[in-house]
Amino acid sequence: MIRAIVLVAAVYTALIAQEFIPPVGFLGGAHLLLVPVLFCYGALWLSFPTMLAFALFTGLLSDLAFLHVIGDRVEIGLGWSMLFYVFVGTALQPLRPLFREGRWEIHCLASGAVTLLLLLSQYTMVCLRRGSFLFDGTIFWHMAGPAVFALLIAPLVYFFFNLLPAGTPMRQTSRRGGGLTR
Amino acid sequence: MNKLHFILLGVAIVIAVIFLSFSSERMRSWQSGYLRVSNPALQAGSAISGQVEKLQKGLKTLDELEAENAALVASNNELRAASQLVGGLENENKRLRASLDYRERSAFKLLPAQIVSRDASSWWNTAKINRGFGQEVDTAQPVLTADGLVGRTTTVSKEISIVLLLTDENCQVAARVEGTNEQGILSGQRVAGSATPELVLNFLNRDANLQPGMKVFTAGVSGAVFPAGIPLGVIKEFRARELDGQAVVEPAADFSKLDDVFVVQGSK
Repeated sequence: MIRAIVLVAAVYTALIAQEFIPPVGFLGGAHLLLVPVLFCYGALWLSFPTMLAFALFTGLLSDLAFLHVIGDRVEIGLGWSMLFYVFVGTALQPLRPLFREGRWEIHCLASGAVTLLLLLSQYTMVCLRRGSFLFDGTIFWHMAGPAVFALLIAPLVYFFFNLLPAGTPMRQTSRRGGGLTR
Repeated sequence: MNKLHFILLGVAIVIAVIFLSFSSERMRSWQSGYLRVSNPALQAGSAISGQVEKLQKGLKTLDELEAENAALVASNNELRAASQLVGGLENENKRLRASLDYRERSAFKLLPAQIVSRDASSWWNTAKINRGFGQEVDTAQPVLTADGLVGRTTTVSKEISIVLLLTDENCQVAARVEGTNEQGILSGQRVAGSATPELVLNFLNRDANLQPGMKVFTAGVSGAVFPAGIPLGVIKEFRARELDGQAVVEPAADFSKLDDVFVVQGSK
C-alpha cells in the first residue's frame, strides 16, 4: 500500500520535475523522461486491478501535461496515453511473478522498451497528423536517448522502491504453474 | 487473466475512449484545470531551477575573475565573493532596465511575464509563463521579448499559460522580408537538435534576391494573430526550389535564454 501511494506521488512529482530537466545536448537535444520508468515499476509490482487504475492515472496526468491544442486541433488527444499505459501494463503483468522474485533486470529492460515505444508511437501520430514522415539522426536520438536514460536509471528506481515496506506478502497460488500473487 | 480481469480491462479502455472523444475545447479546459492545480508545484520548481541557474552563472563569473585577477584572488577571497554578487545584481538590473525601456518604446500594450518552465516533450516546443486569465491573458495572444517574437498563447489557466514557441512546426507566422516585397510563411522545424533551432521561411518567389543578413518581420495580414512589424529573425541562407524559394532564418529572440517575456494584449 505504501509503495502504491509513493508511486502515485512519484508520478506527479516526476511530471513536474521533467519540465525543469534541461534537454541533453549530446543526445540531439532529447528530453529525459522519468514517468515511463515509474510506470513500469508499478505495472510489474501492482496487482492487475490496481495496475489498471495506476495506468489510467499516469496516462491522464501525462496527457494533461503534454496536451498540444492549437486552435481546434489536438495532435494527440486526451486519453491516448491512458490507452497506451493500459495496454503496456497488461502486457507486462505476466512478468510480475518473476519481478517480485527479485529479477530487477526485467524492470530495467521494460523501462527502456516502454520509453522507446511511447516516443515512437507519439512521433508516428504527430507525423500522421502533419501529413509527412521525416526521420534523421536527431529524431533517432530524441527516441533512443530517453530510452537509454531509462535503462540507466531504472535500477535506481527499483532499489529506491525496494527500500519501502512491501505490504502484503506474496503467496503461492498454483503448485503446477508456480505463479505468485498477493 | 481471469474473467474479472477482462471486464476491468474493458472498463479501463472505455474510460480512455471517453476522454478521447472530448472536444478540443473540453480538453483545453481539463488542461487549464491541471495547470491551476499544478501552479504551486510549477512555481516552486521554477524558483529552485532559477536558484540552481544563478549558482551556475556565479561559478562561471568566478572563473573569469580568477583569470583576470590571479594575483588578487590568492590574497582576497572575501572581496572576490562580494564583487561577484554585485556583478550578478548589476547584470540583472541591466536586463530589467532594458526590458522596461522596450515596454515604453513598444506600440502595443504589453504584460510582463516570466518563463516558468519549458516543455519536457520531445515533439513540441512550448513554454509556460506565470500569467493567465487572472491577468487578462487570452488564447492566441502574441508573446515576445525585447529582441523579437517568441510565440503565442494556447492554453490559458488562471495564473499560468502555455506558449507555443516560434520554433515549433505548428507555429506558423505570415512574414515579410525587410526592403523587399517578399512575403512567406515562417515556421519552426519538426524536431530541433539544439536550444537555438533555425526557422524556415517558405513560399517565397524562387527568383527572390534575398541576401544573408536581411531582416524578417511579421507581415500582420488581416485577421492574423500577430501584429505587423515584430522582428522574427535574420536571413541566413536562401535556396531556390522547384516551385518556390525557401530561406533559413536565425531567430531574433534567443530561445536558449528565455526568461522575461511580454504578452501582447492589443494596441496602447
